[in-house]
Amino acid sequence: MKRSRFPLIVTWILLLFFYLPIFVLVLYSFNSSRFGGSWNGWSLHWYRQLYREREIWHALTNSLVVAFSATAVSLVLGTTAAIALHRFSSRLQKFHYTLIYTPLVVPEILMGISLLLFFAALKLELGLFTIFLAHVTFCISYVAMVVLGRLQDFDYAIVEAAQDLGAGWWTTLWRVLLPLLMPGIVAGGLLAFTLSIDDFVITFFVAGPGSTTLPIRIYSMIKHGSPPLINALSSILLLVTFLAVFFSQRLTKEVP
Amino acid sequence: MKIRSLILCMIVLCWMPAGCRRKTPELKIYTWADYFKPELLERFEKEHQCRIIIDTFESNESMYAKIKAGATGYDLLTPSSYFVKIMFNQGYLLPLDRAQLPNLKHVDADYLKIAMDPQMQHSVPYMLTNSGIAYQKGRVQDFVPSWKMFNRADLKGRMTMLNDMRETIGAALKFLGYSLNSRNDKELEAARNVVIGWKKNLAKFESEQYKSGIATGEFLLVHGYSGDLLQVQKENPDVDFVIPVEGTSISCDDLVIMKDSKESRLAHAFINFIHDPDVAAENTNFLSYVCPNQSSYPKVDPELRNNPAVFLAPEVKAKCEVIDDLGQDTAKYNRVWDQIKAAY
Repeated sequence: MKRSRFPLIVTWILLLFFYLPIFVLVLYSFNSSRFGGSWNGWSLHWYRQLYREREIWHALTNSLVVAFSATAVSLVLGTTAAIALHRFSSRLQKFHYTLIYTPLVVPEILMGISLLLFFAALKLELGLFTIFLAHVTFCISYVAMVVLGRLQDFDYAIVEAAQDLGAGWWTTLWRVLLPLLMPGIVAGGLLAFTLSIDDFVITFFVAGPGSTTLPIRIYSMIKHGSPPLINALSSILLLVTFLAVFFSQRLTKEVP
Repeated sequence: MKIRSLILCMIVLCWMPAGCRRKTPELKIYTWADYFKPELLERFEKEHQCRIIIDTFESNESMYAKIKAGATGYDLLTPSSYFVKIMFNQGYLLPLDRAQLPNLKHVDADYLKIAMDPQMQHSVPYMLTNSGIAYQKGRVQDFVPSWKMFNRADLKGRMTMLNDMRETIGAALKFLGYSLNSRNDKELEAARNVVIGWKKNLAKFESEQYKSGIATGEFLLVHGYSGDLLQVQKENPDVDFVIPVEGTSISCDDLVIMKDSKESRLAHAFINFIHDPDVAAENTNFLSYVCPNQSSYPKVDPELRNNPAVFLAPEVKAKCEVIDDLGQDTAKYNRVWDQIKAAY
């Protein structure tokens, strides 16, 4: 029987659909014209200029600091929340589940404004710390949901077996529970990191002086400023992401 | 174990920015992206032993929403004039201390006559821009610098106007010889009919893509802002930018100080610095907008200085107006704009 070529064609069209815009973006980052649509020849002009833009690099540093710290903290809090939710089913935990679930469905703009009002009421100085708090707030929910999914097919007999064999709670946690939950935790962490690094709406409201993150900076550059700089920066970020994905795939292959 | 110390490191790292307290004073500016020449900021930092922190917004509306919701900590802002008025009415702005601002004597008196805060009590004009018409020289025959160009049927489908009701209805009001801040129903109705007539020849109402459209020749004639279109002109010499003889809109971004500013003395010093004639000229050259500083004009690059679309001829300037906040009567413009959008 001859195999249909249809799935292959669909795959190619889909891949083209996903990656063509990215390809155009990378291409235009080498365009010497500042306007998309007109091609004035190859140039590294935007990359050179990007190198000199201290505010963009400052914004990138801010974004990375917030993303890493928010991911780390929300991983710890989200995982413990998930374990608690799975282990106990009191009325309190039902309420807890609602609280964890709410940030997933509340519109971002509502969350941004209400957090800003809250911080303003507490007289908290707006800055990286308030952005960090806001990001942890919504990242916890995503981490907790992903880890909770992993816990659904988790057999507690294993934990009991470990305790029978003399493991203390710390050893049980560190040697048994965490390794089994690790795929869920890693997935939750990646999700939290991506959400944190490209969040615009919430960050816009809770950012204070000197804590502009990359998405805010890019958004303000679209109207005022040089869009090709953004193309250049995106190309670099894309390269870094591809390399990271590539190496992580190779690493995971070696350890079955 | 490694992971645990890594996590600890990250937690410490995220507390650091909040924990550190620097001794040097900081001037926190909330403004548009790339709106001050970086070298000038460095010079000010050196002269005043301070650090300047710049944050950026992309529209007056979002900036205002944030301030309104209680964001604090900013010293100096650069909103557009009509937003300055709103913010002043809401009590967000600090009255300026003229004793600390000797350089304000250089501010262009001609502009102040039409400004919304002519006494500079709470705002100082920073950068002026006007809307106008850009066109492809080689491909538009018999060009005349007038709004009536939008009547030209031979350019049908190759022209755009701004997707901004005040700018586009304002252009029609100017074309008819009325004020672009008109509250008169008859005048607005006449303007509506003019725009509906123009609309037949337009490709679309467009506020962003017209820049690349005119640069590539997709559009032959566009209505847009001077800062954007002068940049296009720099790259494509075949594009020319002119101000219609009937007059057009002038918009201005102002320097204002927030009432709760902790560094109001430094903020005053910064406004004074910006209106130093040499600094103002340097900034004008860098941005291609005009800093309304009379004494700086002779120091501006001759190329920019002699461009009639940047430094308007007096007889054109006399016909230009600042777009004012109309309060309740904005609804009239909304209605007319809806009718224009719905018309065929």
